[in-house]
Amino acid sequence: MAHNELILTDVTKRFGGLTAVDALSFKVESGQIYGIIGPNGAGKTTVFNCITGIYKSEEGSVLWRGEEIRGMTPYQIVDRGIVRTFQTIRLFGQMSVAENIMSGRHIKSAQKWWHGIIPTPGKKRDELENWKNVEEQLDFFKLSEFAATPVGSLPYGIQRRVEIARAMAVEPTLLILDEPAAGLNDKETLELLETIFKIRDKGVTVLLIEHDMDMVMEVTDYLTVINFGKKIAEGTPEEIQKNPAVIEAYLGSEDDDDE
Amino acid sequence: MKELQKFAYPVFFVVMAVLPHMLDDRWQAVAITFLIFSVVALSQDIILGKSGMFNMGQALFFGMGAYTTAILSNEYGWSIIATIPLAIIIPALFGILLAGPIVHLRGDYLLVVTIGFNIVFVQVLQNNLGGVTGGPNGIFGLDSLSFLGYDLMSQISVYYFAFIVLLLTLWVMHNLAGSKPGRAMHYLREDQLAAESIGINTRVYKIFAFGLGAGIAGLAGTVFAVQYSAVSPEAFEFIQSVLFFSIVLVGGSSVPGVLLGVFVMFVLPEIFREFATWRYFIFGFAMIAAMIMRPRGIWPATFGKIPKFLIKENNHGA
Ligand SMILES: Nc1ncnc2c1ncn2[C@@H]1O[C@H](COP(=O)(O)OP(=O)(O)O)[C@@H](O)[C@H]1O
Ligand SMILES: [Mg+2]
Repeated sequence: MAHNELILTDVTKRFGGLTAVDALSFKVESGQIYGIIGPNGAGKTTVFNCITGIYKSEEGSVLWRGEEIRGMTPYQIVDRGIVRTFQTIRLFGQMSVAENIMSGRHIKSAQKWWHGIIPTPGKKRDELENWKNVEEQLDFFKLSEFAATPVGSLPYGIQRRVEIARAMAVEPTLLILDEPAAGLNDKETLELLETIFKIRDKGVTVLLIEHDMDMVMEVTDYLTVINFGKKIAEGTPEEIQKNPAVIEAYLGSEDDDDE
Repeated sequence: MKELQKFAYPVFFVVMAVLPHMLDDRWQAVAITFLIFSVVALSQDIILGKSGMFNMGQALFFGMGAYTTAILSNEYGWSIIATIPLAIIIPALFGILLAGPIVHLRGDYLLVVTIGFNIVFVQVLQNNLGGVTGGPNGIFGLDSLSFLGYDLMSQISVYYFAFIVLLLTLWVMHNLAGSKPGRAMHYLREDQLAAESIGINTRVYKIFAFGLGAGIAGLAGTVFAVQYSAVSPEAFEFIQSVLFFSIVLVGGSSVPGVLLGVFVMFVLPEIFREFATWRYFIFGFAMIAAMIMRPRGIWPATFGKIPKFLIKENNHGA
């Protein structure tokens, strides 16, 4: 059986008359940092939503480790080791950084529903273990000083880090990042690159959407370029940079891709 | 605030523990009412405050517990204490059954559906369905509390019964706050999509919240039945649910906030008799003012605690 491979075949997602994703196929291999790029509105986020179960594609198949995950719910997909972040950061704004990261431990926790009513020694141990993991994430993402701070009050750059930390607390096999550099300054972007490499070194496969071409070229091993929901090119960053169709798509939309 | 709370809780418990000995009959009855309605309001807080579900039917579960006790005691001759497990389990099961098909609904739709449930419930009681609810008059002349052969007829025993139930409720809520299900409820209240995307089966925890909230309200129902040695439909009208709903929203989803809300709503009117007719008026204004000036309630929720070892030097903490 194929190991830790994500294979999309002819995935199509429509919104009314609009085909947001059009017969898209690609394959992410274990250990890669894989990039999806394309102009605004190309359908990148929609592809991610189809992989993570937020939308169900009308056609096609999404195979993860040989299993069809199209049509599963988001939490079932998380349970299989795929975790994502959002383009528009989605954190639990009123809760502290540590509690936000703790949410990633939900599926790893062995507690049952009755532990919400009656405590047991096993529950206490389980709580401690999971909070210890949160501590590790806080260290890894250099967030320790913010542990008790409500996340909604933090700057954008730190919120992004918290969101990735939360996803990593799940101990995913495949981490999906939707425009992780959006809204970051140069220094923060550089730190993000480092973090992504460190995550890959832990054995996690990374699939990311990026708008910033420079960043994509630096960080990814392999790329798929989409426009109007269709794949227009794929290859290594070097190959993509030389591809005339890509240059055309990007130049054609250069003025409106400041988001 | 934290220090204050550390100090305030023991004081509150001690005062509540000796309180009935300093009160006459009438005031004891008021204090019991405060305890019972506090438990119901806290159970509503689990559903509305902690999980963010707009449930406007909490009086249904409260009434179901009260009627379970009354029917088992009057029709089947059970002792009051023996009715407690069923007075918790039956409302809890109903909570789960009713919640199942509706928890996916958006706030406003859920609100209307739960109002509907509450109205149907009261109609069922009034029409004496199954011939056991006693119709519009309800059921009266319940046995008094007895335990291990001791008759606990005095109002003071009822007070301590109610107090124990409140302590139990606070204990459960404390356990909930530091548990996986309790946090899951917070997460889904804050952002359901984010919660799903991090692996939480939000549906399960919404139903869990309903079941737990209903069970606790049912237990409060038993105490209510004992206190009045009677139950009747109008005590569980939908307008009661509106009160519990408002208390949680105005008080804020915190224990002090909820208790404060119950105090203002049910105790102040007794202290100032003239205030009784004014209470809806004043509470109405309090609701308006609170929602405009403090949309998260007078005493807002503090979320689950994080362990001390995570709080490092130079923390920007709250
Ligand atoms: N929930 C939705 N309903 C309707 N149209 C949508 C929805 N989500 C995305 N779209 C449309 O699908 C297209 C692709 O959007 P998206 O995947 O967000 O693009 P990208 O992430 O590449 O910028 C856009 O035209 C967008 O308007
Ligand atoms: Mg997008």
